[in-house]
Amino acid sequence: MSGGVKNTVLEYRKKTGVEPPKELTELVKEINKIKAKITNALKEGPKTIPEIAKEIGMKESLTAWYVLTFVKYDLLEPESQTDEGYYRYKVKG
Amino acid sequence: MSVKSWYERKYYGEIEDLPEEEYDVLVIGGGIAGIQAALDLGDMGFKVVLVEKEPSIGGFMYKLSKTFPTMDCASCIATPRMAQVFHHPMIDLLIYSEVEEIEKKGEGDFRVKVLEKPRFVDSSRCTGCGQCELACPVIVPHEYDWGLAGRKAVYIPFDTAVPRIAVVDLDHCIYCGQCERACPTEPPSIDFTQVPKIHHLKVGAIIIATGFHLFDARLKENYHFGEYPNVIHAMHMDRLLAPTRPYHAILRPSDGKEPNNIAYILCVGSRDKTVNNPNCSQICCMYSIKQAQLIMGALPLADVTIYYIDIRAFGKAFEEFYQQAKDMGIMLVKGRVAKIEQKENGDLIVWYEDIENGGKLCKAEHDLVVLSVGLLPNKEIANVFKGQKLEVDDVGWIKPVDENANPVETSIRGVFAAGTALGPKDIPDSVIEGGAAAMQCAAYLSEVRGRH
Ligand SMILES: Cc1cc2nc3c(=O)[nH]c(=O)nc-3n(C[C@H](O)[C@H](O)[C@H](O)COP(=O)(O)OP(=O)(O)OC[C@H]3O[C@@H](n4cnc5c(N)ncnc54)[C@H](O)[C@@H]3O)c2cc1C
Ligand code: SF4
Ligand code: SF4
Repeated sequence: MSGGVKNTVLEYRKKTGVEPPKELTELVKEINKIKAKITNALKEGPKTIPEIAKEIGMKESLTAWYVLTFVKYDLLEPESQTDEGYYRYKVKG
Repeated sequence: MSVKSWYERKYYGEIEDLPEEEYDVLVIGGGIAGIQAALDLGDMGFKVVLVEKEPSIGGFMYKLSKTFPTMDCASCIATPRMAQVFHHPMIDLLIYSEVEEIEKKGEGDFRVKVLEKPRFVDSSRCTGCGQCELACPVIVPHEYDWGLAGRKAVYIPFDTAVPRIAVVDLDHCIYCGQCERACPTEPPSIDFTQVPKIHHLKVGAIIIATGFHLFDARLKENYHFGEYPNVIHAMHMDRLLAPTRPYHAILRPSDGKEPNNIAYILCVGSRDKTVNNPNCSQICCMYSIKQAQLIMGALPLADVTIYYIDIRAFGKAFEEFYQQAKDMGIMLVKGRVAKIEQKENGDLIVWYEDIENGGKLCKAEHDLVVLSVGLLPNKEIANVFKGQKLEVDDVGWIKPVDENANPVETSIRGVFAAGTALGPKDIPDSVIEGGAAAMQCAAYLSEVRGRH
């Protein structure tokens, strides 16, 4: 039980003095950049993972990992499929 | 990232030391074997405590697609059992908890120390709505999908998790508070004032059902697992085929393409002295044939080739299941795979010794390779016994007192084992052993208590 404590995350931080590790805050900045780059790349229309990777200059496997994670979290969705077996993705909504 | 022990982390308050609680039986491990044992004992009227180290019970089974040879949906069978154990009046659960120490004081008298880890989520309020997960900005590989996709620092382990509530991964949290602000319950269910709790249990008997580990495929260096993204292992494929799968379709990790020429390599890390595991893992042939059949159903145009040393289809209806796979057009090549090479487009060249053609070295191209990894023992549990030795075999599986006449009793009287904690086996055999361990436990308790 939080025992009536409000904003428990803030209170936890105050009481323990813990700071977020730098590597994690850097990771979050990186994730935000990748998210912005991917959604930006999809502005002109749906694209496959290799097409997105080429446009944003990121490794295909890493692009695949983020695109598929963003699909899981409902940020992106598959739209259609190419003859070669790739899906084209677009921003959801 | 270094992962801290639960005693090194900082908390809002002191670690809570709880007064002793008494139970008839402690079951360690909430996989299908432990669940069966707990249910059988609970139904017989024994007071049971089930300790599971993960944030959900279920073990491997509820992460699987379907089960061989009947092709039943694994989570459809597992989830009701999980719910049954969760709501059983005679069974208490300590989920997200670890047994740290067991001391035998006498027959029918074990003292156990259990650490209950804080979820930082109030389980009495959390509705499992997932709003916190959507709001959290941190993404890290999800261990339940073996890293195929990401999860947040606060997450619901699985759609079918029991309990289906969130858990905060403190090691990846940046303490931004977004989860707490997004939580719709009043007050929010996110609760960073939680602290670990130490439970002291007095129990009459113990069942160990701590399951298995997957073989670490990186040890077979010629296959480049962990380096070539399209070399995956069988648990990855079971996840890709499951209704709760991480992707919206069956896709290969290197570039999101739907694979159409998939290879299986059997016996990876099993029957292999070079990796210290001479044993057959018993289930890999069958789970590979199961997955191959499911792939043929999901991707009708795909070719599936299984490279095997020999197929061990020893169980009820297994041979028919194997013949059915052949009839479906799954190619079976008797060949030992020597190495895998990667092409620039992510496709893979498999070099194999063609045993049926005089051992000639041949090569074939595939766009996804699945390594049918073996099962290895979960060794940690043997270390928690103080003053008593839990016997294990040469590989590390728990060794029963008598493999033939008493296969579920361990070297410590009053301590029984069930399921894959004793060695590789499938779900039905794990369930049978869960039931057997429950019966032996009941007999032991009536014997030692009758004598008192
Ligand atoms: C790829 C793959 C496919 C498979 N497909 C099939 C199939 O189609 N059909 C079939 O019959 N079988 C299949 N199996 C086998 C099946 O997964 C096992 O038979 C079954 O999961 C064994 O159940 P268990 O309870 O013994 O172990 P587990 O499922 O491993 O459960 C053990 C539980 O104990 C917990 N635990 C471990 N250590 C501790 C500890 N120290 N304290 C507390 N808790 C602990 C774990 O978190 C886990 O929840 C497959 C296995 C694999 C790897
Ligand atoms: S406080 Fe931690 S778990 Fe909550 S949203 Fe922020 S990073 Fe995620
Ligand atoms: S903690 Fe709150 S937001 Fe997260 S799943 Fe539970 S109820 Fe929903």
